[in-house]
Amino acid sequence: MPILDRFDLSGRTAIVTGAGSNLGREMSLALAEAGADIVGVGRRPEPLEETGAMVRDHGRRYLARSTDVTDSSDVNAMVAEAIAEFGTIEILVNNAGGGSAGRGKTLSELTDEDWHEGINTNLTSAFFCSRAVVEHFVEHGFGRIINVTSGWGYRGARHRFMYPISKAGVISLTKALAMSYARENIRASCIAPGAFPHELTPEVENRSGLQPAGRFGRLEEIGPLAVFLASDASEYLSGETVLIDGGAIAAGLTPAGMVPATGEAN
Amino acid sequence: MAFFDLSGKHALVTGATGPLQRALAIALAEAGADVSLTTATNEMAEEVQANSILNECWSIGRRGEALTVALADEPALSDAIAGLEARIAPIDILVNAAHAAPILPFLDTSSEHDAAAFTAGVASVLTPTRVVGRGMVERGSGRVINLASILHDRGVPNCALYSATQGAIVGFTKSLGIEWIRSGVTVNALGIGFYEDLPGPQHDAEIHAALERYIPLRRLGEGSDLQGAVVYLASDEAGFVASELIVVDGSITAHG
Repeated sequence: MPILDRFDLSGRTAIVTGAGSNLGREMSLALAEAGADIVGVGRRPEPLEETGAMVRDHGRRYLARSTDVTDSSDVNAMVAEAIAEFGTIEILVNNAGGGSAGRGKTLSELTDEDWHEGINTNLTSAFFCSRAVVEHFVEHGFGRIINVTSGWGYRGARHRFMYPISKAGVISLTKALAMSYARENIRASCIAPGAFPHELTPEVENRSGLQPAGRFGRLEEIGPLAVFLASDASEYLSGETVLIDGGAIAAGLTPAGMVPATGEAN
Repeated sequence: MAFFDLSGKHALVTGATGPLQRALAIALAEAGADVSLTTATNEMAEEVQANSILNECWSIGRRGEALTVALADEPALSDAIAGLEARIAPIDILVNAAHAAPILPFLDTSSEHDAAAFTAGVASVLTPTRVVGRGMVERGSGRVINLASILHDRGVPNCALYSATQGAIVGFTKSLGIEWIRSGVTVNALGIGFYEDLPGPQHDAEIHAALERYIPLRRLGEGSDLQGAVVYLASDEAGFVASELIVVDGSITAHG
């Protein structure tokens, strides 16, 4: 089959968590543009409906399902409704997350609530959604799970505990899913976005010089990567995390704009 | 498909005489790019391969040429690339697919083996990148995609020399990706594991069977498995992916 046809998602349905805004909305739209119907999941109904209107503009079906992805019974009910509506689900994008639980606190200042909130928002949610769809995927002998982590999942920072820890957990969850269900034709992969500001105000844009690329990620850049990972074009790729960060993690903590002196050593 | 259209771009795939390289070239052509190739020698077998790949690209309406040139010979390569770019178009996509896999016990190797391995496995990536990349940086856009084995960070007996060259490719990819990203040129790598069509121990039937049990996706890779990743990385849509290694290995490195 010609390669561009292998990216096609026609006839498939994707559950996207956090679909009401930002990266989740962008991935929903790109998957829809590639042919998929979408189940948009999020906490607030209005943004989900806005995403829905855009998905329908691409001629796809859309179900908005307001869901607390940190509540397993709500997640299980959401998946059951999605299957009832669409018949089968082929793709799950675990994008919901974020939060600033415990940010800046020292270890001894972190509360139990900070810990649970941080883990629940980013890691438990992906675990609950994956667990809720996996039997369905196994039954149909097909499934694609795309998790969303962050550069923070790779590295440490002073008094940053919850976000990096939970995002590192998402990378590990991806590998566990990939290993556990490889024989059932289920693939799990992970996207690690760098800095994709929610709003590119002039003030934010001024800080883009800190990025190796000299700019932030643009929202429309995230969707095609999700399409690639959701499609048959990535059939032999699983357990893998793909950075889309303009080189930020590869550059590490190199001071921005630092260019070592060149020429002969003296 | 709304994404990944490579129409109007000119791709160069180096070392295009093997099945993996064929798959990479065909994928780029199918996605719309004109595709040119390099072969190392004028030997009949290589020429037949290269012509057959080009014929397949031409048959779907693309242009492109095959060059016979030593990739690590910078003056010769510069001349060849200048001619190619004048005749077809400036190169937008460079796929460094020339790949050498020296497999020998380390104590059976010599400094001549080292030099040969680094010429075939490293200089043959660095030199084309310098020659073709100069124009990309000047024009402010380009894609460089290097093939690298997962042996860059996994150990296998009798592969020390091979691993050394692959580590070099990955390190090169990371630093150059940062150096060029602001010029609109991305440098990334495509990670490969055990593929049917590469030299290696997998051609022994017993080892092949063991690998099928060991690889989580239960089969060795084929050229077609790399086509999605190379088209993605070559596309305008991947402009914020830099210094990255996308591993397409049937999930080996996620567990092994």
